Amino acid sequence: MVRERYLEQLDLLKESVLSFGEMVKLIFRDSMTSVIDLDIELARKTLALEPEADRLEEEIEASIFDLLALQQPMASDLRLVVSTLKITADLRRIVGLSINIAKIPGRIEGGHVKPLIDTKKMADIAGFMLENSLKAFETQDVELAKAAAARDEEVDKLFYAVWVELIEMMAKDTSIISRATNLLFLIRYLERIADHCCNMCESVVYLATAERVKLN
Amino acid sequence: MTEAVQNVSQPQIEVQNLNLWYGEKQALKNVSMQISRNSVTALIGPSGCGKSTFIRCLNRMNDLIKNCRIEGKILIEGKDIYGPDVDVVELRKKVGMVFQKPNPFPMSIYDNVAYGPRIHGVNKKDLNGIVEQALRSAAIWEETSDRLKSSALSLSGGQQQRLCIARTLAVKPRIILFDEPTSALDPISTARIEDLIMNLKKDYTIVIVTHNMQQAARISDYTGFFLSGELIEFDQTRQIFHNPQEKSTEDYITGRFG
Repeated sequence: MVRERYLEQLDLLKESVLSFGEMVKLIFRDSMTSVIDLDIELARKTLALEPEADRLEEEIEASIFDLLALQQPMASDLRLVVSTLKITADLRRIVGLSINIAKIPGRIEGGHVKPLIDTKKMADIAGFMLENSLKAFETQDVELAKAAAARDEEVDKLFYAVWVELIEMMAKDTSIISRATNLLFLIRYLERIADHCCNMCESVVYLATAERVKLN
Repeated sequence: MTEAVQNVSQPQIEVQNLNLWYGEKQALKNVSMQISRNSVTALIGPSGCGKSTFIRCLNRMNDLIKNCRIEGKILIEGKDIYGPDVDVVELRKKVGMVFQKPNPFPMSIYDNVAYGPRIHGVNKKDLNGIVEQALRSAAIWEETSDRLKSSALSLSGGQQQRLCIARTLAVKPRIILFDEPTSALDPISTARIEDLIMNLKKDYTIVIVTHNMQQAARISDYTGFFLSGELIEFDQTRQIFHNPQEKSTEDYITGRFG
């Protein structure tokens, strides 16, 4: 075997992305719990994780630039490096959106304007998509990636339903506009998170097959 | 092999089931390949894989090697170059070659380029034009136009290699074979030769053997991967370097072996 150091770097890159993924899952899950329970303390702890996420992202990017500049990866190695760069960017966006979610509890006074049933469903599906797009990346499982991305449609439908419901509630009772608007933002963030999961699934398909596909 | 490669319309070079032995040792095993006009085809593979042997078959350089035996067919523009009526000198005029190490003749820059046209009987009055044109096409005119009478050996390595390309162009070949043309050159000279090769494909068909995979990826339209005398994979260069179909190709270009 030649280029052992190089192969180690590729393995390490993959591992770093997966551990970044673990962190993103945690940030997302806690941000959702904090907003559902309006748990200001958990929200504060979640917000405090952002700098660490930034650091991990920078570290991964730096190792990708090193690999590109110093090793000139080819074929499946090139696809790994390129898809890793894109997946890292998607993960970082999910962190950003989760941080936005964790800011919501601090802005809501007096409880939610409605029980968050469909919103929680959206979060569960987005969480499922996140979990499985990372698993699909780890195992280069195209079918799993496609199955995960396919659930984006459910998220979109729920988004639209909750959107309409909130608009109608605000039309009837203007005193809830501030709290309801925060929920509108919340469902928008969830919908975007699901989109980033779809992007990651597309990167997995490219990684495994070299095909560029659109999954949402 | 993808359809795009199989359906090369009217290939300029068509190699059919080529086998070659040096004495008892078989160096090429049943190689078939079609090369289209005005394309750059790169041949890659580890040392001893047969890529240089293969390229040397295309202008019968292997004829000069004792105990070398060839089976199969190579058609260039439809004509079997190993046929009984082939004039090898004419063949090598049509299929020029540039080697790894620049090998200018120990004479002036002008005479190096004029050498081929002269022995092919070109009129003296046409010579100046041919020499200038060849030096321009090889992107070395600017550097040599005021010193054509100087010795070719006074040029730098990179300039000597471009002079050798000019010398090849002067006899108006249709096909140019490059056998690792930049492995003895510095990066700047290498970049110049690579640019030159990409420009030359407008007028010529080019086959290049290279150990430099990035070079193959940069300059070629098609890439063939050789291993142990076999052509393992031949496809569009993009495909080979993004998503090769054979595991050994993948292993070679990603540095898993070789």
